[in-house]
Amino acid sequence: MAKVLIENLYKIYPGEKGRPEKVAVDNANFEIQDREFMVLVGPSGCGKTTTLRMIAGLEEITRGAIYIDGKKINEIPPKDRDIAMVFQNYALYPHMSVFRNMAFGLELRGVPKDEIRHRVDSAAKTLGLLEPDNLLARKPKALSGGQRQRVALGRAIVRNPKAFLFDEPLSNLDAKMRVETRTEISKLHRKLNSTMIYVTHDQTEAMTMADRIVVMRYGKVQQIAAPLELYHQPANLFVAGFIGSPPMNFFTGTLSASRQGTLAFIEKVPAGQTPFRCALSAETSRRLSSRQDRELILGLRPEHLQPNSLTSGVTLEATVEVVEPMGAETFVYLRTGGHTCICRTTQIEFMDLEGKKLNLGPDLSRAVFFDPQTEAAIPV
Amino acid sequence: MKKNFNSTLSIIALLGLGFLFLLPFFWMVSTSLKPLNETMKLPPQWLPSSPQWHNYPDAMKAMGPFWLYTRNSLVLAFLNVVGTVFSSALVAYGFSRLDWRGRDGVFFVLLATMMIPFPVVMVPIYGLFRALGWIGTFQPLWVPAFLAGAFNVFLLRQFFLTIPRDLSEAARIDGCSELRIFWQIILPLAKPALLTVALFQFMATWNDFLGPLIFLARENQYTLALGLQALQGTISGTPWHHLMAASTLVLLPVLVLFFLTQRTFIRGIATTGLK
Amino acid sequence: MTAGERKSLLMGVAFISPWILGFLAFNLYPLLASVWYSLCDYSVLSQPVFLGTQNYVDLWRDPVFWKALQNTVVFAAVAIPLSTFLSIGLAVLLNQPIAGQGIYRTIFFLPSLVPAISLAILWQWMLNGPMGLVNNLIRPILDFLNLWLHTQLKTPDWLNDPNFALWGLILTGLWGTGQAVVIYLAGLQDVPAELYEAAELDGTSAWQRFIHITLPMLSPVIFFNVLMSIIGALQTFAVPYILTNGGDGPGRSLLFLATYIYQNAFDYWNMGYASALALCLFLLIIGLSLITVRYGERKVHYSGK
Ligand SMILES: Nc1ncnc2c1ncn2[C@@H]1O[C@H](COP(=O)(O)OP(=O)(O)OP(=O)(O)O)[C@@H](O)[C@H]1O
Ligand SMILES: [Mg+2]
Repeated sequence: MAKVLIENLYKIYPGEKGRPEKVAVDNANFEIQDREFMVLVGPSGCGKTTTLRMIAGLEEITRGAIYIDGKKINEIPPKDRDIAMVFQNYALYPHMSVFRNMAFGLELRGVPKDEIRHRVDSAAKTLGLLEPDNLLARKPKALSGGQRQRVALGRAIVRNPKAFLFDEPLSNLDAKMRVETRTEISKLHRKLNSTMIYVTHDQTEAMTMADRIVVMRYGKVQQIAAPLELYHQPANLFVAGFIGSPPMNFFTGTLSASRQGTLAFIEKVPAGQTPFRCALSAETSRRLSSRQDRELILGLRPEHLQPNSLTSGVTLEATVEVVEPMGAETFVYLRTGGHTCICRTTQIEFMDLEGKKLNLGPDLSRAVFFDPQTEAAIPV
Repeated sequence: MKKNFNSTLSIIALLGLGFLFLLPFFWMVSTSLKPLNETMKLPPQWLPSSPQWHNYPDAMKAMGPFWLYTRNSLVLAFLNVVGTVFSSALVAYGFSRLDWRGRDGVFFVLLATMMIPFPVVMVPIYGLFRALGWIGTFQPLWVPAFLAGAFNVFLLRQFFLTIPRDLSEAARIDGCSELRIFWQIILPLAKPALLTVALFQFMATWNDFLGPLIFLARENQYTLALGLQALQGTISGTPWHHLMAASTLVLLPVLVLFFLTQRTFIRGIATTGLK
Repeated sequence: MTAGERKSLLMGVAFISPWILGFLAFNLYPLLASVWYSLCDYSVLSQPVFLGTQNYVDLWRDPVFWKALQNTVVFAAVAIPLSTFLSIGLAVLLNQPIAGQGIYRTIFFLPSLVPAISLAILWQWMLNGPMGLVNNLIRPILDFLNLWLHTQLKTPDWLNDPNFALWGLILTGLWGTGQAVVIYLAGLQDVPAELYEAAELDGTSAWQRFIHITLPMLSPVIFFNVLMSIIGALQTFAVPYILTNGGDGPGRSLLFLATYIYQNAFDYWNMGYASALALCLFLLIIGLSLITVRYGERKVHYSGK
């Protein structure tokens, strides 16, 4: 059980042969609470793995500090940090049996034989490595991908570490196994009640498993929040666009005073196109009053844009381009004002509408506004 | 039609060349089983009229302490194999599984040393061993093996590079020191490559001629190669049947080893040329 | 350098320390010492006495040195192309879908396993003037030619004839070319079959495919092998030494640089002169290797790996 604190953390790779140096992690600051399931997420190359490896001790810290339970661990070798790590490619020792793979770390720590057997057995049981087939005597080569993944988990569990580190542990599994193992890891977290730090670039994994999520980009932390907070109150344009699938719709426009004394949003469109315009509520107008006549970006999730909805009488006229029926819901891709927007609906009767015009009703109470210069969300 | 013709032609060529390549072996064994007068017959006789198996013990006797030479060769081969496998693996580990500043530059130096053959440096090396009082002992013939050979390091490094980095990191987190990762993770996984290096080194030591020739002094230290050369030099009238029998005996262990490990061997040779 | 970097540097150096020791003792020190000895009169038994460039002046005027140099270069220049052609040819033959491919490969490979001592004694016998198998195979052919062309061709007494001794050695070397065959065969098997299929669809002949696909794809392997063969050929010692019963052949026809270094160092105890010879051999190896690398870089086709 452990609290992990990351303070002004930098990783700078020296530039080799004339290339500029690479700032892989750029002043990261966050805290992982005891027993928390923290997910690091972000696009490829944003520095998630690097951060995790610095926590593990596999990568040197350029600047800043990492504390586990208040103790600075920058100089402590990985084996003495009391952490366990599950690797993307499992990293099982090919020449050792499943049992030895799990027992190896304990042997090195001088745990007595009986204790090792006991711990390995109970971990194997939890992970289903004994039933229906007892896999303990097999070599990793004789296991399926999912089984290997579970052995890798087992190797971490038996150590009973202060914190678990995961680096995209599911990315080599097929879609079905991925969902299954995902829930299994979540269950394990509840059962073991330990701190887990999990790296992924799959936002579904992030959303479903995390207590809190750290979103990173270009080595910088963008936002740290619980999944739903991240979804509904993204801190900036990047987070808004990165989290959620299909992504949020963005409309760039200006705010002008309307006759009712409130503000209205008018989309900026190429000449000849009909802009999306809508009146904002008195509440929102008050909040945004300082931004009158200035440019800003309005963000709306696809589910907050419903076809033919007559709420508040605001509509957005758009042409249907593609309809993607997903079963429970339908994604409708539409063209309006010179760009594409997406609507996500459960009303499947719109399936054969391709090429036709459609009126969309935005739920403006859920809209998020961004400053186009700083890209930051305008606070509620 | 044309294809068939081509492959028939290939088969004929292969048969012919294969025959030519086998012929010296046949001639060696055939001669080794002839009585002396039959070796001199003209035109030569393909097979001995009756195989003289006693030529082999006779040849051994003619060489002097044959079994002592064999023991010397085996002891040296063993020491060389052990020494080179461990030292080269250790060095290869440092060049492949560890990151340190200047590594690639130093590795380039190692590759460059492959261009320094023994005859170029043997004079000062002889002086060095002389100063150490090692001339006339076995040390010059096995101590250097414990200091890693460039070619073996190169081979092993290539192999070590194919082992995923994750494994070392998992082991590091599991609590391994660097030496233990080397010993318990990398070496067991590199067994085929280590076996290849061991085989090559065995052959090299067994076949070595120049080293024993300059470093050994007394006859009871001779290796088989030196003993056989002494036989060739001392006996007048060239008893070809004995020379062929002795040559066959020196070759035999190498052949046996080859046939026991053929797959590893051929694969090893094949990879050496492909970088 | 940060503390971590220093630590990993120490760790790296610790792991390669056996090689560092070996490098210092058996590469760097001997090269430097050779330079010093080559400027001295040195017999091992007494301290070296500085002579200046005397050894090099002697060397320049020493016809035996020039003979050794000539033999070494001629041997390399003839044996390497011959064995390269032979082994590529054998590899190409072997690379066809033929029953017993493994057996043929073993047959061609076996001679390369034969220890130098056995190899040399065997070929001393094979190349024996009257009784050698080689001459007895050639004799009927020569007799046939003599009969029809009215020539007077005689089988050579290979190792006792200054004009033929080197050729006898080359023949011996060709027999032992099997390693290269195995390497080339592996290289050939690495060439993707699609390339040949595509070329066949384009209507190329087998020869064109060999020239335009096989050779370019094989060129890195050939390059590497030739480089290694050059280094090997230039240090030839054991086989000619034994073939000549520890001598250098009729008219010094089997005297190589390595042999001459050996003779000066260990027969005449003239270590200073031997060192000068050794440095010449070293320069020769470096020079020829560099030329090969230069030339190879232009010709070799590296497929993106
Ligand atoms: N050893 C290195 N030397 C130089 N740059 C590196 C090194 N390792 C990583 N980087 C760079 O640091 C950045 C962050 O890499 P990192 O592996 O942390 O990304 P990631 O977020 O895990 O991405 P992915 O989702 O693709 O795994 C990348 O731009 C990468 O190119
Ligand atoms: Mg990563």
